[in-house]
Amino acid sequence: MSRRPVLTVARRELKTRMVTRSNIISLAIMVVVIIAGGIAGKIFLGEETEPEPMRLAVDASVSELSPYLESSPAAGPGGIALEPLDEAGARAAFADEEAEAPLAAWVGGDPAAPTVLFEDEPDPAVLGIVEQAAREAATARAVTELGGDPEAVRAAVDAVALEVQQVLPPEEGLDPARWVLATFLVTLLLFSILGTGTMVAMGVVEEKTSRVVEILLSTIRPGQLLAGKIIGIGAYGLFQVAVLGGTLMAVVGGLGALPELEIDLGGTFVLMVVWFLLGFGLFALLFGGFAALVSRQEDIGAVTTPLMFGMFVPFYLTIFLVPNQPDATLTKVLSQIPFFAPFMMPTRAAAGALEPWEMPLALALTALTIPLLVWISARVYRRAVLHTGGRMKLTEALGGSKG
Amino acid sequence: MPSLELDRLSKSYGSVHALRELSFEVGAGEIFGFVGSNGAGKTTAMRITLGVLAADAGEVRWGGVPLDLEMRRRVGYMPEERGLYPKMKVAEQLLFFAELHGMSPADAREAVDRWTDRLGVGHRRRDAVEKLSLGNQQRVQLAAALVHDPVLLVLDEPFSGLDPVAVDVMSEVLRERAAAGVPVIFSSHQLDLVERLCDRVGIVSAGSMVATGSIDELRATGEAPWMLAWGERTDPVAVRQALAAVPGVTVQEVPGRGDAVHLLAQLEGAEQAALRAALEVGEVRSFARDLPTLTELFRDVVSAPADEEVAA
Repeated sequence: MSRRPVLTVARRELKTRMVTRSNIISLAIMVVVIIAGGIAGKIFLGEETEPEPMRLAVDASVSELSPYLESSPAAGPGGIALEPLDEAGARAAFADEEAEAPLAAWVGGDPAAPTVLFEDEPDPAVLGIVEQAAREAATARAVTELGGDPEAVRAAVDAVALEVQQVLPPEEGLDPARWVLATFLVTLLLFSILGTGTMVAMGVVEEKTSRVVEILLSTIRPGQLLAGKIIGIGAYGLFQVAVLGGTLMAVVGGLGALPELEIDLGGTFVLMVVWFLLGFGLFALLFGGFAALVSRQEDIGAVTTPLMFGMFVPFYLTIFLVPNQPDATLTKVLSQIPFFAPFMMPTRAAAGALEPWEMPLALALTALTIPLLVWISARVYRRAVLHTGGRMKLTEALGGSKG
Repeated sequence: MPSLELDRLSKSYGSVHALRELSFEVGAGEIFGFVGSNGAGKTTAMRITLGVLAADAGEVRWGGVPLDLEMRRRVGYMPEERGLYPKMKVAEQLLFFAELHGMSPADAREAVDRWTDRLGVGHRRRDAVEKLSLGNQQRVQLAAALVHDPVLLVLDEPFSGLDPVAVDVMSEVLRERAAAGVPVIFSSHQLDLVERLCDRVGIVSAGSMVATGSIDELRATGEAPWMLAWGERTDPVAVRQALAAVPGVTVQEVPGRGDAVHLLAQLEGAEQAALRAALEVGEVRSFARDLPTLTELFRDVVSAPADEEVAA
C-alpha cells in the first residue's frame, strides 16, 4: 500500500479539524475546566502547610508539669506550645476576641490536682494531656521519695515497644490526592477517545452523504482512505490529549493543586498518551468501519451508541473498581482485556496500585488486538462504504459476495 | 495515447443483471457518447471502469493491459452523484484531489488556478463549496475531474444541470481534451448534444450494448426507408397511384407531411423504378434515404422490452 495517498488524506483530516471553530472552542473550554478543577482540588483537598501547635498557658505553680506536657505523646502534629501565664492573664487572653491563635486552656493550682480552665466546653484531648502529665509528675515524685531515679524509670517505660501484626492483609486505602488525579486522567481519556472516535464516524458518513467517497475511491483504495482518516484524526486527538494532559499535569505539578503527591508526573503523562493512542486505535477502527454501514448522518447513532456503551462500561467499572477493590482479581483480569485496559491501566498506574508485570502485558495484549481490528474494520468499510440507501447489516458487510 | 476497452463486463445485484457482457472500445482522441434509458447500466459500467465497483466478470483494459489503480489515478472521473466536501474551500478541495492523483503541490496549485479560471469559478476559489450555486458546484466538480491533466475522461452526465453557457464551455473543454489525444466517455440524456459532440455513440439497453458506431453508421443501419417528396404543381393522388403500381415497393405515409411518402423497396432496385414512375407523373423535389435521428434510433432501441430495471 503506497503511503503518499494515506498521508495526503491524513493531512486533510488534521488540517480540517485544526481549523474548525467548534473544535477550537471545545478544547479551550476543556482547558478551562481542568484549571478550574485544579483550583477546586487545591481548596478542598489542600491541607494547611504548617500544622499549628496547641497553645497551652501554664501557671508558675505547675511548672513541674511542663516537661511532661511538652513531651506528651497525645499532642497533635504541631506539638504543644507552653506559655507562662497567671490565671488573670489567661482569663484576659480568653476574653480577647482579636487574639491571633486562641489558647486551648490554662493549667494552674496544685500540680498533683491541677485546675484546668477552658474558654467554653472542656476539650477531652487537652484534659487527657494534662492528666497524663500530672500522673507522670506524681510517679516521678514517688520514685524520688522511694530513693529511685525517675529518669531511669522513664527510660525503661519509654523502651516499651509493640510489634503490630494482623491476620487479614492490610486495607490499602487510596491516597485521595492520587485518586483525584487518576479520576481526571480516566475522564480525559474517555472524552478524548470518544470525541475522536465520533469524529472518525462522522467523517466516514460525511464522505458517504456528500458522495465524495466515489471520487476518492476512484483514486485510492478504501484501506488507504480509512487509514488516512484514522491517522489524521488520531494526530488531532494526540494534539488534544497533549494540550489537555499537559494542562492537567501542569495544574497538578505547577500550581500544587494536589499537595504531598509523590507521583512521577512526566511518566504519568507518557502513559496517558500511550494509552490514548492504543484506546483510539481500538475504538476509532470500530467507529470508522461501522460508520460505513450507514449513509445518512441521522442514522449514525445506530452505530455509535453501542460503541459508546462499549466505552462507558469500562469507564464506570474503572471508576468503581480501582478505588474500592484495587487488588481484586476481577480488577486485575479486566485490566488485561483490550477494551478495558485503556481505561483501567493508566488509572491504576496513577493510583499507584500496579504490579510490575501488569503494564507490559496489558500493552502487549492491546497492541496485538489492533491488527485484528484493522482487518475487521477494513473489511466492513470496503464492503459498505459504497452502499447507499438504508443501513447495511453487519453480517452482510462481513460476509456476502465481493462488492 | 492508448485506447480504452471494456471487454464483456457483467455485473449482477442479487437477481438483477445490471450488465450483461457489455463491450465497447474508445480510441485515442475519440469522444464516445454513452446513451441509454435510466437503469440501463451506464453508471454501473463507468463505476466498474473506475474501479469503484468490481465486475463479476469481464475486464477493463487500457492500451491492452488491465486498468490498475496506478493507471486509474490518471483518469478524470465525474460521478453521476456529484461528490465534493461541502464545507471545504474550492481551491483547497481541488488541491487535495490533485495531490491524491499524484501531482506535486506546486503543479497542483498552478492547475487549480488554471482550471477554475477556465471554468469561470476563479473568483470563488476561497469560498466553501456549499456556498456556491449548483451550477457552479458542477463546474468545480468538472475541475476536480480535469485538474490532474487526465489521460482518460469518464464523465457521468456532465451536462445535467448546466446553463447553456456552461454547456458550451464544457463541450469546448471535451473537444480540446480529445484533440490532445485523450479518449473521452460521457453519458447524457441530451441526445442533441451527444449527436453534435460525439465521434461515436453506444446505446445501452438492459445491460447490453445494442448499437455502437458513428452517428452516420448508426443511422445507416437497418432498412431506412426512402423518402420521395414532390413539388407543389404535382398531383398527390396521381403520384401515389403511380408509385403503388410499381412492383416490389410498399408506400407509407409520412406523419405530418402531405407532399412526401416513404418507400420500402422489397426488390433490388425497386426504388429506382418507383422514382422513374414518379418523374413520369410529376416533379420530384427530393429522393433520399430517410435516416433516423439519434432520438428516433434511441427510442427504437430502448422501446424493445427491457427486463427488470436496475438502480445503477
